[in-house]
Formats: sequence, C-alpha cells, structure tokens
Amino acid sequence: MRAIKGVLLTCDSAVKQILLTLNEKEAFIVEDLDETHVIIAPDKVERVRQALASELEKNAFSLEANVP
Amino acid sequence: MAQKRNVDDASFGDRPAKKPRSEVDEDFQPGSPHPDDHALIPRAATINLSALTRRLAYEKKDRNKPAAESVEQPAPGPSTTARPATIRIKKATKTDLVAHLFDKSDFSFMELKPDHASRPLWINPEDQTIILEGFSPIAEQAQDFLVAISEPVSRPAFMHEYKITTYSLYAAVSVGLETDDIISVLNRLSKIPVPEKIVQFIRECTVSYGKLKLVLKHNKYYVESTHPEVLQTLLKDPMVASARVVTDGTGQITTGPGGLLMTKPVQGLLANVSPQKSQTPLIGATTPMPGNTAGSIPAAKSTNQQADADLFTSVVGVDGDEVEEDDENVHSFEILDQKIDELKKRCIELDYPMLEEYDFRNDTINPNLDIDLKPITVIRPYQEKSLSKMFGNGRARSGIIVLPCGAGKTLVGITAACTIKKSCLVLCTSGVSVLQWRQQFLQWSNIHESKICVFTADQKEKFAGDAGIVVSTYSMVANTGNRSHESKKMMEFLTSREWGFVLLDEVHVVPAAMFRRVITTIKAHSKLGLTATLVREDDKIEDLNYMIGPKLYEANWMDLAAKGHIATVQCAEVWCPMSPEFYKEYLKEKSRDKMLLWCMNPNKFQSCQFLIDYHEQRGDKIIVFSDNVFALKAYARKLGKPFICGDTGQVERVRILQNFQHNPLTNTIFLSKVGDTSIDLPEATCLIQISSHFGSRRQEAQRLGRILRAKRRNDEGFNAFFYSLVSKDTQEMYYSTKRQQFLIDQGYSFKVITRLEGMERMPGLVFQTKSEQIELLGMILNATDDDRMLGSDVARGEGDLAGTVTSNSYRAPVIRTSGTLQNLSGGQHMSYIEKNKSQNKVLAANAKGMDRNKLFLNRDKESKARKKEAQKAA
Repeated sequence: MRAIKGVLLTCDSAVKQILLTLNEKEAFIVEDLDETHVIIAPDKVERVRQALASELEKNAFSLEANVP
Repeated sequence: MAQKRNVDDASFGDRPAKKPRSEVDEDFQPGSPHPDDHALIPRAATINLSALTRRLAYEKKDRNKPAAESVEQPAPGPSTTARPATIRIKKATKTDLVAHLFDKSDFSFMELKPDHASRPLWINPEDQTIILEGFSPIAEQAQDFLVAISEPVSRPAFMHEYKITTYSLYAAVSVGLETDDIISVLNRLSKIPVPEKIVQFIRECTVSYGKLKLVLKHNKYYVESTHPEVLQTLLKDPMVASARVVTDGTGQITTGPGGLLMTKPVQGLLANVSPQKSQTPLIGATTPMPGNTAGSIPAAKSTNQQADADLFTSVVGVDGDEVEEDDENVHSFEILDQKIDELKKRCIELDYPMLEEYDFRNDTINPNLDIDLKPITVIRPYQEKSLSKMFGNGRARSGIIVLPCGAGKTLVGITAACTIKKSCLVLCTSGVSVLQWRQQFLQWSNIHESKICVFTADQKEKFAGDAGIVVSTYSMVANTGNRSHESKKMMEFLTSREWGFVLLDEVHVVPAAMFRRVITTIKAHSKLGLTATLVREDDKIEDLNYMIGPKLYEANWMDLAAKGHIATVQCAEVWCPMSPEFYKEYLKEKSRDKMLLWCMNPNKFQSCQFLIDYHEQRGDKIIVFSDNVFALKAYARKLGKPFICGDTGQVERVRILQNFQHNPLTNTIFLSKVGDTSIDLPEATCLIQISSHFGSRRQEAQRLGRILRAKRRNDEGFNAFFYSLVSKDTQEMYYSTKRQQFLIDQGYSFKVITRLEGMERMPGLVFQTKSEQIELLGMILNATDDDRMLGSDVARGEGDLAGTVTSNSYRAPVIRTSGTLQNLSGGQHMSYIEKNKSQNKVLAANAKGMDRNKLFLNRDKESKARKKEAQKAA
C-alpha cells in the first residue's frame, strides 16, 4: 500500500464546510475524516490558509474600513 | 478623592499664596512664553523637552537603534533639574518606544500645563476633536460645557469624544455663549493650551453669528439685519439675489421701524439657570497631582475658587437677562418661500448663519392657545435642561433635541407647545403615531378636545376657534399629487395660516425632499425636531442643520440610565454555530437567499428557546424580533408563542397585546418590523432579535428603545436584557457588529456569548436530531421567493412615511387573492384538526369563550338590533 503524505487539520464544523467548497475549486483534501478533521496535502497548506482567511474576513466588520 | 483633596489643600494653605491661577491659565499661549511659565516650570524642563523632541525625530528616522538604549541615556541639561522636569523627561523618552505607532497623530511634542492632571480635556490640534476624561471629578461640568459647544461622537464610560463643528458652534452662540468665554473655558479645562488653530476656528465660526435674522411677518419671510452692509454683501451673491422678492422694482432695502426684537427677562417655566452649577466644585477644587512641586498652583487654586465658579457658571448657565435691544433701524428684504432652505444653506456657506428666534411672548398678531401642562405632569431634569436650551432667552429658537427612546420625547414636545401657547402643528411618521401624539397631548396637558385635531387619510378635522393643534403625518402634508377635495381643503387651511410652532417627530427618517416641501409650504415661527438616533445610513443628517436648526441638546444615555430615567440594559450578542448542513447550503446559496438560512439555523432556534425559557422563569416579559416574516412564523409556531406581523388583523393584534400585558401566562410575543416603532410595549424587559435589517444602526437603537422604558423591575444590577442572536461564520456577524456601532458610541457594551450553559440539557429542546434539522432545511429551501423577502410585511397606510414602517415599501403593496394551501388540501374541511396550531388562534378561541358573559352578549345583540332599526327608520 502506498503511503501519502498529509497534514492533519482540525477545525470546527463550519470551517470544514468552507474547506469542502474550496476543495471543489482546487482539490487539496487527501482524506475527509469526520466533522472536525481532514487531512490535506502538505504543499497546499499555505494556500488553504490564505483562502480560508480571506473567506472568514468577509464576515468581519472593521471600523477602520469605514473611516476614510 | 475628596478626602485627599482636603489634605492637600490644608498642607498648601499655609504657604504664601502666589499668582492667582486664573491669570496663568488664560494667558497661557503656546509660542508666547509668559513670564509666569518660567516661574512655574523650571527653565531646564523646557530646554530638555525641545532637545528630546529633536532626538525623538532623529530616532524616528533611525529605528534600527535599540530603543532600550535611549531610555538609559541621561537627559541632557543641567544636573539641577527640578523634579517635575525629570518626570517629564522620563515620559517623553518612554514615548519614543511607541511614538512611531501613532504616526501623524503623535502629539507628544505639545506642552502639557504643569497642573494638567487636574484638567480633564485633551484637544487634538489637527481636527477639532476633544477627548474628555470621563472619570475626572469635574467631568460632569465639563460635559455640560462640551455638549453646548460641540457634538458628542462617542461616550463610553470613561473616555468621551467630542467634535467641534461649525454647526455646534452656531448652536453654542445661539444659546448665548460668547466667543471669548468659549475659548477661556476650553483653555481652563484643557491639559494643553488651546491650539491656535482651534481658537481661530472658533472665532471664525462665531464672529458673524446673529447679524442676520430670519423672521416671519404676515405670512411672509424676511431677512433682517441691523447692519445694512451685511445685507448688501449678501445680496451680491447671485443665489441670495434670486431668492429675493422684488416688489416694486426699486431694489431698495426697506427699512422698518427699529427695535423689532424686544427682550425681557423670562419668568416662569423654563427660565431657571440650573442652580446646582454654582455650588459644585470646579477645577480649582480638584486634586493636584501628587508630588507636583509647583506648589503655587494648588495654593492659588483655593483662593481663586469662587471666582472660577462664578465665571464657569456665567458661561455654561443660560443667561436669562441677555439684552439685545438695538435701537438702530432694522433693514430687511423679503424672500421667496420656496427658496427658504436654499437660502439658509447658502448663508451658512457664506459664514452668515441666520438666526431664527421667535419672540412668542410679544407676538400679539397670532392668537394665543389655551394650553398648559396638567399640574400632575412632572418634567424630569434632563427634559427641562433640553427645553432651557430652546427657550434660553425667553424666545423660542428652532433646533433639534436628541433624547433616547423611552426618555419622554413626547413630553418635551408637549411642554414646548405649552410654553409657546400658539397654534401648533405636529408632524409624525405614521398614522399610528398621529393617534398616539393626540392621546399624549390630552393626557399631559389641559387642552380641550375640540382644539386638537387629526389630519390623516381617514380623518380630516379642523379645530374650533382661531388657535389649536393639528397632528398629521409628513406625507399627508408633503403630498403634491392628486388628493381628495377634503384633503385639499385641509391643506389650504394649513398653508393659509401662520403657525407658532411646528413639532417634527423622528426627524432622522424624513427624506430631504419631503422635508423641504413641508418647510416651504408651512409657515412657522419656530420648529422643534425630536429624535432618538441622529444617524442615517446615507449621511443626510447634515441637511437637518439648515432645514430645522442646530442640535440644541443631546442626552447622554448612560447618564440617564445611571439616574434611573431609563432602564439599564445588559446587551449581549449570542453566537450560534451554524449546523454543518445549513452551512453547506449557505455557502452554495446566492447572497440574497442566504439570509433565511442564517436566521433559521437550528442552533439559533435552540438558543432562542433556551433564552425565552430562562427569562420566563425569571419573570421577564419577552419580545422576540424578526424582520423575516417566514422565520417569525416558523419560530412562533414551533415554540408555541403568539406573534404579530403585518397581516395580523387589528382585533387580533389588540387581543395579543392585551394578553401580553395582563395575562401572566403569555410572557413572550414575536414581533415583525411592525414592533420596531408603532407598538408601545412598556412591559417588556427582555428583547431577543433573531433577524434584522442588515446593518441598520437605527433599527438596533429603535429596538433597544422598546425596553428602555422598562423600570418595573428594579433589582440590583441590570433590569433589562437585549440579546442579538447571530449565526457564526456568516454575513450576519458583519451586520451585527455594524449595527451595534451607534449603541457602542452611546456607551453600551455588548457581551459576546459563545455558548449558552446548560442548553443541551434543556428538556423539550427543538430540532435536536439530525433528521429534524434536515427537515427544517428542506422546508427553507422550498420556501418561495416571497417568503424569503425581508420585511415586505408591513402594509403601508396612506400617509405613512416610506421607510419608517417597512424597509422596501417604495413598491406598491401587492394584494393577493388566491386561496391558501390549507384550503386546497382540504384543511378547511370539518374533519381536519390542526395539530401545530398557531398560538394566535388559541388566544382567539379563549377570548371568544371567556370574555363576555351571556348576559352581555344578549345585550349586545339587542343593542345591535336597535341600532339597525334606528338606521332603517332614518
């Protein structure tokens, strides 16, 4: 059996749903373990991190953004 | 604090008193070192400071240098440096470490006054922002002063932010403050000498104020001035010239008899000069900084205390005896009615703001109205304060008063009307509030019922006699389209007469164009705008400044809550995690449809149920708000509570509200947008919102206002609760934070609750199983587009203002006549029993059975029959 390198990612269930949608655009999930755990490809970690951050940033309100 | 002060005073008392302190204060200007400065601050300090500033700038350039090193460096200068100087140096060097973070707002180069610790203000020299230390012992006095001259930006518990604007300065001058007094008091309170820029700004704004007056005479507007040259310059402006009425083509400025405005000292209701101020300790009495070696200051303080107090009072207090009698000739020209507001705006741009004051006591042309407050009516101190700003010198000036919801705005308006005692027009936003205003007038004042009348789509009355009160809505008055014969008649009646006073309710919601029409068609001597939230998402607030007048008074919410006039509210934002299935759909949906998913989130359902249960056990009366009607109905049905939304009939509404008020078993009701403004629910002590109108700060404040009146429960700590349920990781988080901004500026803090303790263990929790949740999801996804729409719910009556009762009410209301699904599926059939019954119907069924005794029912029947017969006979 061939071993695949992977990084274990622990998240909450909502973030996992975001990951799944991101995965549809660009596959990086190696194994979907359960509600809160996935294994993702190690070379994609940085990109996933960024994509996730920008996705979550959309829901945050910052005062600075509104003050010119 | 007081203890400490006494000790200090005593220890310094036996020293020889040095220079009176006030002299030092007032002459203390940057750039022009006063001899006294050197007496107080050792020369070394000044030298060191400038040296340090230089080094600071140098180090900014070269940041690679380890910062710690600079702290260790001995300060250059003579070794005989006095103690305050050393303190200073240390402070200055310390700022090095962080100075670069502040970039342009680094003002550490500015010199602090030696006794800065006892002064509460920081002034930003660049913009006109002022920061007040709310914890300072004289903060309250300082606040009174600041509210008069500037606009509050943000007022949390300890640090208040104010901003001086042109308008706020106009307001200050119009209530009788003098330019020099403003500057000297500001200087007195400030930790730094008032920056030259600010002084200049204040002078520029205030110097020309009051030279022009806008007066209404015989139903025509005139611009008046005792300075003909001002009028001449004004008329050179093309805009002003075009607004002018040229009667006989001569183009001459008419000169009328002099002394038009006669003043006399005011007696009675509103003339008192807030007496408590003269007794309160002022700057002089505050604790000097411990270890301050410049000992002369505290010593001088105690001697000069009384003088300080006098000056302060004379400035902050409203001067009743201000005499403004000009015996010179008054020059004037007439202007077109339609151009009034443009003219006002232009005049402000030209730096000649027009004064609008109404000397109602000496107005003999307009008939008096017999109206007075009932003896039992009690005006609260802050209401009196706000009115004293309006009637400060015995005349009525136009402006806006800002008071939180539930703090008695209506009573302020009524008292103002009772003070002016002339014909009065009240404009509000919806038909419902028209009736409320009328009822409040009757409740608080002794006005005769025939003198107060209503002008709405359904009722068009005229008052008896030659003076009275008309209550109407903005849109009724501003309507330009076709109207019925009766309305036309009524409008003619309204426009043909001169009004002593126009009361404008909820001024923040009225569109500018509508306002303009109202103001140009109605001739009024004075206008008072009332509002709770002077915010608009479209920043049209500025326009109100020239359309009505400056902001006269703005109450501090936290202050009122602390004094018990409004309820203390504990605000909380409850984060409900989205269930995975819901979140998956949420990510897939288009932005418009996402909303239903986040407000129907099963975790939110559970949180809502849990909170309702918890507060019902505490004995609270709970309102649950949902903008989305689909969600509202689903929640109410699932949790077995009554609800009111737009299509709830009037009878049913009244029944539900009555049950909520009096029935100990009905402790919770669900309300859609209708509850935002038009329903008065003084019983509610707890509020939960599950869906709201995007990021509307106004709605948030209005909803909070629903529970501010609540003072029934006076337990220790908080007596009202405001929960926002928010679905985590969704757009709702963004909106929720945005919505809170206004309340945060008022000093409220929102606690974030990420998990409700004990929710899982609650018996009978809804949507516990996956299958139930998925069923709910299916129902949501199958919902029609109409259901998803937000707030298309409240039907608009004619005369209701767009945007006040419903958000997207600019569309014509749609009437559907098709049958219900229940009907199609045989639900109306005799053998069908509805299981998950709406609580509304249960209440209705109960009401039918219990309310009337058979005896009365029979009587009703008989009286009805009799009426019918009588009609037939007629």
